[in-house]
Amino acid sequence: MYLLRLALASLANRRFTALLTAFAIALSVCLLLAVERVRTEARASFASTISGTDLIVGARSGSVNLLLYSVFRIGNATNNIRWDSFQHYAQDPRVKWAIPISLGDSHRGYRVMGTTGDYFSHYQYGRRQHLALSQGRAFADDPFEVVLGAEVADALHYKLGDKLVLAHGVAAISLVKHDDKPFTVVGVLERTGTPVDRTLHIGLAGMEAIHIDWHNGVPARGAGRISAEQARSMDLQPAAITAFMLGLNSKIATFSVQREINEYRSEPLLAILPGVALQELWSLMGTAEQALFVVSLFVVLTGLIGMLTAILTSLNERRREMAILRSVGARPWHIAGLLVLEALALAVAGIAAGLGLLYAGIALAQGYLQANYGLYLPLAWPSAHEWTLLAIILGAALLMGSVPAWRAYRQSLADGLSIHL
Amino acid sequence: MTDKLTGLIAGKPAPTGGVGAAHVGAGLPAMRPVQALQGLLLLMLLLLALPLWAAAPRELDWPALIPEGAPVIPPQLTPLHDMSQLSDALSAESAPAAHQQAPDAPVVKDLDGQQIKLPGYIVPLEVSEEGRTTEFLLVPYYGACIHVPPPPANQIVHIFSEMGVRVEDLYQPYWIEGKLQVRASRSELADAGYQMEAEKIYAYVLK
Repeated sequence: MYLLRLALASLANRRFTALLTAFAIALSVCLLLAVERVRTEARASFASTISGTDLIVGARSGSVNLLLYSVFRIGNATNNIRWDSFQHYAQDPRVKWAIPISLGDSHRGYRVMGTTGDYFSHYQYGRRQHLALSQGRAFADDPFEVVLGAEVADALHYKLGDKLVLAHGVAAISLVKHDDKPFTVVGVLERTGTPVDRTLHIGLAGMEAIHIDWHNGVPARGAGRISAEQARSMDLQPAAITAFMLGLNSKIATFSVQREINEYRSEPLLAILPGVALQELWSLMGTAEQALFVVSLFVVLTGLIGMLTAILTSLNERRREMAILRSVGARPWHIAGLLVLEALALAVAGIAAGLGLLYAGIALAQGYLQANYGLYLPLAWPSAHEWTLLAIILGAALLMGSVPAWRAYRQSLADGLSIHL
Repeated sequence: MTDKLTGLIAGKPAPTGGVGAAHVGAGLPAMRPVQALQGLLLLMLLLLALPLWAAAPRELDWPALIPEGAPVIPPQLTPLHDMSQLSDALSAESAPAAHQQAPDAPVVKDLDGQQIKLPGYIVPLEVSEEGRTTEFLLVPYYGACIHVPPPPANQIVHIFSEMGVRVEDLYQPYWIEGKLQVRASRSELADAGYQMEAEKIYAYVLK
C-alpha cells in the first residue's frame, strides 16, 4: 500500500507529463470503445428492425438494396411493381399475411410510407414485437390521415389533429410540395428504436391521391388540378406499389414461394429472405469494421508506447529519487514495484478517463445520432466484450511497465548510492 | 472480437438406448492365452466405450429424410435452362420455370422424436439483437445455384435455437444435434416437414 502511495506521490510530482500520458491513453481507449460500440449497436439495430417477415418482394435489383430501401429507408427503389402482382401473392394459400409498401415521398426529411392497416397488425420488430399506438388510432378510410413514428412526432412537435403537408421526393428541403392536399395526424406510434420511428405512415389511397393530378411529372395547373375534396370521391386504388412483405403459413415453404416469385412470368420480381440479406449486408460491412477495429487497436498501442517512453525517459532524471529510496532501506524489487505501479496507475487513470470521455460523448451525441442516422447508442454499462478489451489494455500496460521496472531494478543494483559526476 | 464459434450450446443428448457388444465374448474358449487376453482387453475397451456410444445421437444424412417408398419423380428430360433459346427472349420467358417439383414431399414418420445429428447449411430467418441466429432453415446445399429447383420440403429442417448461433459466413456448414419432430402434411398448405429444437450447434470441419 505504501508502495502505491509512493508511486502516486512520485507521479503527482511530475503531474504535467503524467496527465498528458494518461490523456493520450484515455483518447485511445475512448476511440477503441466508441468504434466497438457503434459497430455492435449498428448491428443490433439492424437486426432488431425486422422480425417475423418471411419474404420481402420488390422490383428486381439486389437483395441488399431491396432490404435497405424497403425496411431501413436507406436509398431508393429501382422501380415499382404492379398491384396485380401483390394481389396474386396476397391471395396465395401459403401466404398468411401480406403488407404492401409504397415509398418515394417525404416530410421535412422523414420518409413517408404508404401502406394498409395490415402494417400495424402484422409488422414485427425486435423479438417478435408488434407496433403499438401511443396516441390516437391507425389511419382509416379517409385518404388524408397520417400516423407518425415516435421520432417524427417528437422532433417536429406534432400532436393529434395537426395538419401537415407532404413533399415530393425524399430531400430534407423540398421545393415541390403536395400542399393542396394536407394530411391530418390521427395517431402516433410507440417508440421502437427502428426506422419506423422516423417514418410517416399513410394509406395507399392517400399516396395515390396526392399524385392523382401529376400527369406530366409536375403538379397540374389551373383547371387540371384535382382538389382534396374531389380526390376523396375518386377511385384511389393504386396501380403500383414499391414492395411488399409476406408472412407464410409454413417456413418450410419459404424457398419454393421465393423461387416462384423470382420466376413470376407477368413481371420481373425479386423475393428475398430478410435474414439472409442481413447476413450479406454484414459480410459486406465486416471488412470495414475489421479495418476500423485494427486501426483503433493500433491507436491504443501508440498510447501505451507513449506511456512507456515517458516512464523510460524519466528514469534518468529520477536516479536521485531511486538512490534516496535505496538509502532509506528500499530493496531493488521495491523500486521495480514502484515503476510497475506507476504504469498501472497511469493506465487505470487513462482507462477511467477514456470511459468518462466515451459516456460524455455518447450523452452529447445521442440525440443527433438518433435523429440523423437512426442509430441509438444507449448509455449502458460496458459489455463483457468491452470489459475484456479494457482488461487486455491494462495487461498490456502492466507488461510495458515491467520494461522500465526491470531496467530500474538492474540500475538500482549497479548504481547503488554512487552518483556519477 | 470475432468470436469464431464452434460449440456454442451446452446440451445433453438423451440416451438413445444401447444395442451393443453383448456377444463379443462368445468365441473365447478356443483361443490361446495371449489371444484370450487380447480379446478380453478388446471387450473391456468396448464396454468402456459403450456409455459414450449409447449417448451419441444418431447421425443422419439428408437422403435418410426421404421415406423408402417415396414416389420417384421421373427425370425431366428437357433441359432446365436451354441455351439454344437464349436468342429468343420471349420463348425463354415462357419456358417452364425450375420450380419445386414435389412441394408436398413425403416425410419419414419414424424419425419423429429421435435424437439426431445432421450436417447442413444455415439459412437465417430470425436474428437476435446480439447478432445470433435463433431460427433458421437447415438445407443440404446452399443456394447460389439457381439452375435447379429449390430443395423439396423433406430436405429442409426448420430449426429453433434458444441460444442462437453467430453465423459469420453463409457458406459454412454446421452440425446440428437435437430431437427431430416430424409434422405430417395438411394437404392444401403443403406444410409437411421436419422441425427441431437444436441442442448443440457446431461448425462442420473436414477431417
